[in-house]
Amino acid sequence: MKIKKAKILRKLMGNLIALISFAWPNLTIADNIRSFTFDSFSRIKSEFEGKEFLLGLWSVDCPPCLVELDMMGKILDLNPELPFVLISTDPIDTKEDAIEFLSDFNLENRESWMFADSFVERLRYSIDPNWYGELPRSYFFDRTHEMNSHSGIMSTELLENWFAQDITFP
Amino acid sequence: MYKKLLSLLILQAALMSPSLYAICDSSDIDRDQVSIHCGNTPSATFDARGNLWVAFVQDEFVYVSQSQDLGKSFSDPVAVNSAAEDAEHNGENRPKIIVDERGLVFVSWTLKTSSRFTGEIRFSRSTDGGENFETPRTINDDNLFTGHRFESLFLADSGHLYLTWVDKRDLEASVEAGEDYVGAAIYYAVSDDDGASFSQNYRVANNSCECCRIAIAPRGPENIAILWRQVFGEDVRDHAIAELTPSGKTLTTNRASYDQWHINACPHHGPTMVQSSLSGDYHMSWFTNGDLNQGIYYARYSFDDERSASIFQVDGQPGAGHPFLSEHNEKLHLVWKGFNGRETLLNLITSEDDGATWSEPTTLLKTNKGSDHPLLIQNSDSLFLSWHSDEFGYVLLDVNENIRRLSNNEN
Repeated sequence: MKIKKAKILRKLMGNLIALISFAWPNLTIADNIRSFTFDSFSRIKSEFEGKEFLLGLWSVDCPPCLVELDMMGKILDLNPELPFVLISTDPIDTKEDAIEFLSDFNLENRESWMFADSFVERLRYSIDPNWYGELPRSYFFDRTHEMNSHSGIMSTELLENWFAQDITFP
Repeated sequence: MYKKLLSLLILQAALMSPSLYAICDSSDIDRDQVSIHCGNTPSATFDARGNLWVAFVQDEFVYVSQSQDLGKSFSDPVAVNSAAEDAEHNGENRPKIIVDERGLVFVSWTLKTSSRFTGEIRFSRSTDGGENFETPRTINDDNLFTGHRFESLFLADSGHLYLTWVDKRDLEASVEAGEDYVGAAIYYAVSDDDGASFSQNYRVANNSCECCRIAIAPRGPENIAILWRQVFGEDVRDHAIAELTPSGKTLTTNRASYDQWHINACPHHGPTMVQSSLSGDYHMSWFTNGDLNQGIYYARYSFDDERSASIFQVDGQPGAGHPFLSEHNEKLHLVWKGFNGRETLLNLITSEDDGATWSEPTTLLKTNKGSDHPLLIQNSDSLFLSWHSDEFGYVLLDVNENIRRLSNNEN
């Protein structure tokens, strides 16, 4: 009986958290994947105002993306404070697949977004009008939010060059 | 609402048709209803009598539907697979359909077997005019749980039915042997008995790109030419062209594009190719973001000269993509998707001199919602755009009629 009560309580808590996160999308919970729409990118940027951050775009249908996620997962294990935001270009209704991948690389608790509009051309444009859609694609924003972009798997050299803060590599 | 009405009016004018096209999200159509408008990633073809056949995916079924009035109305969709299976349906992966002279219907698709890039090449046919389909068969013959995806289907004049695809069996073998392997491989199989059976699988090339559609065109009555994105050297993802025979022999393999796109990534952007009726050469169009070229390109490849000529930048704007070529009455047509920051534009250019010079672009249709890649199909009368979008549902648009209308409006 106690177990059952605890379960119900947990479920209620879960619902409460879900409700709060719905009203306040910046709060992250276990399934912390957020809907990426036309204004999401500006929200991400304002979230990191005055700070440097790295944006990683990926898809479950992109083998090189997994190599990159593996690398980033290991780097973030050593540098948990490194500001890294993930955007999956897969539709958000396939988020179970995305969560499975992210969990494999210990990235499931990172800030994560998924494309939530079928007009993907406009979503891509909202991030970078000069991006052709190839994956993986990375963007680094320095403290003044000057943008650097890279197509293909990121390298440790790039990360070292981009970030002002020191990074420990595996 | 006003915008939507306006868009519909534009489409209406473009189609010059009195009937409105069904849109999946309109209130009078149930979204769950199986229909070409609510389905995904349709491919289309005409049969010998000029009837339109469309294959599409909806809720783990591949459906086939026919239209006898050029897409104004459709027959009730017939499910090709009787048991639900996860048929891939995205821009580069769609079911394919061919109807031969006698009315045999051939359908292929890629079955997604996991979320880890694995799949099987599936094939089915109807021998009773599309009323019933045979139980789908898996054509890759390696029994491996690995990637067999991005299939293409082609029927040669000789009746040989080709299936080509991107295959990861050699990658698997290399990984097991502890060796590096870049990309995937291109494989094919051939049927010489109207799809009743297929040959063993034949390898065309190692080290292809993993995630781009393969373009096929005829090469003589029974051979085919295929064009695909290949990894050259360590990381250059340009294009290769090859001639394949029904016996499993690859006759020629050459590099077809020199863009020097150094990238270890998935472009998800396959090429398109048709054979020229004027020269016998191969019209190609593709996307690249290489050191040498960026955007959508056109070139004409000659197997005799082993080189590409008349290279032309079709669209260098970043949003541009997914070109599709077709030749009709010796006139070459190229459609592609452009993007102006707000809307997707379906653009068209034409060439009447075998790709040496091109018309100015014409915008056939626009949408400010999600849309599929544009395809071109033809019957004996005209050339048609076959396109699916969230805004308009499935649209079949007479390209020649539309060009005439646009040019009349300009004059």
